Amino acid sequence: MRKTPLHNFFEKAGARFQERHGVETITAVSTPEIEYGLVRDAVALSDASYMQVFRIPEAGAVDILDPLLAGNVARTRFGRLLHTFLADDGGVLAADCYVANNDDEFLLICESIVDDSEVRRLFMEGGREAGMEDLTETYAMLSLDGCKAWAVAKEVFGADILGLPYLSVENCTFGGEKIRLFRSGKTSEFGYLILVPRGKADELATVLAAAVEKQGGGLCGAAIHNDLRLEGRFFNIFSEGEAVRDPLSLGLQWMIDFDKPAFRGGDAIRQRRAAGVQKKIVGVRVAPGQALAPGMSLFDGGEEAGQVVAACMSHVLGCRMGLALLKSEVAYASLRFHLGAANGPDVTAIAMPPIMPKSLSVKLDEM
Amino acid sequence: MTPENQQLIDARKPIIDHLKVELIKRLNLPLEPADIHEDVALLGSGLGLDSLDALEIVLCVENAFQVTIADNNIAVLRSINTLVDFVLEQKKGGVVTP
Repeated sequence: MRKTPLHNFFEKAGARFQERHGVETITAVSTPEIEYGLVRDAVALSDASYMQVFRIPEAGAVDILDPLLAGNVARTRFGRLLHTFLADDGGVLAADCYVANNDDEFLLICESIVDDSEVRRLFMEGGREAGMEDLTETYAMLSLDGCKAWAVAKEVFGADILGLPYLSVENCTFGGEKIRLFRSGKTSEFGYLILVPRGKADELATVLAAAVEKQGGGLCGAAIHNDLRLEGRFFNIFSEGEAVRDPLSLGLQWMIDFDKPAFRGGDAIRQRRAAGVQKKIVGVRVAPGQALAPGMSLFDGGEEAGQVVAACMSHVLGCRMGLALLKSEVAYASLRFHLGAANGPDVTAIAMPPIMPKSLSVKLDEM
Repeated sequence: MTPENQQLIDARKPIIDHLKVELIKRLNLPLEPADIHEDVALLGSGLGLDSLDALEIVLCVENAFQVTIADNNIAVLRSINTLVDFVLEQKKGGVVTP
């Protein structure tokens, strides 16, 4: 199992750990309710070192990355992030990826549901000669998320970060070391990923944690990120991604450049696209107090319409909500289904995302 | 399919279809209507539209469905589904045709 470089830092804070796809992940530090509140009302610091990170010099980057990834790496503008995915040869999801075009380098950040070694083999096989490096074990990744995340990033890295648009990358320094700061986030609130050399990781985490505390925030784990992503309708490869695997049913066509001549799994995806998508995911909610969990069936009249593939407690809605994979002909928001049987409890398909994050009302240019 | 659900689809689908075609045309998106999931984020991630694009969307919806979207109503612009909910809510009880 690959261990996180921030194990000791988070263990001291009482974190709980779990293995996910051969990688140690911090699941939680306190309760889901507290961690949820930290992100929605203040800011939370978490460990994202489960991600795999690769660096490749600009010169060879497009030639190496473009044939593998579904998105168009060549069109990724300087200083920006491309959000795309890696599929296997059959066109099913293997990793959710960011590609950052940063100065003289491209950085590839992967959240993977296949073994580390498989992702490494794929990229390093062709990339080594072009100077590609695997930074996964020599760097740590921290994640700052919440409506006050910008204040923490500003305190630690300077006021310039306030000008960063969503999905961009910036180089900063900390203790004389180069830090890459990615304006990203998948919680609906402000989010930053911070790539730091392993030797500086504990020190930076300590400084960030102190700044987070000043904003009324704290530490959190990956489990609450699953709930926050679902509530904000951000794609989660560890949840609905792993359950469904087909990028078309998941609605990830926006991550694909269909005009690109080829990419890994592209032929299979194009064939399925031409045949028409048979199933789609749709947001659903139930009445307060009603259970909703992955695997539960949804019925439209007497006919099974699909299954729940992800679920969480929505503290904004005050009930459980989720995503269901439904037959395309009934995959519409506002429809009413029944859970488990034709006469089971009501489930309503809803427009996503159902929440209005606090961060949307923050005007960084006026700070 | 239950008649109630069929009725809900009948109300919703024409608005969805119209919005997808208009979005692709006005914003020159390299996608087919079937490629756009109704919940995909319009701004930021997802389709990654900017504030000018948002203005295009507002005009498109206002012109097509004779509704008014308030300047500060960002919530409506989160996805096609939130736009459709808004149009249906505004036209409650009436027939909605683009």
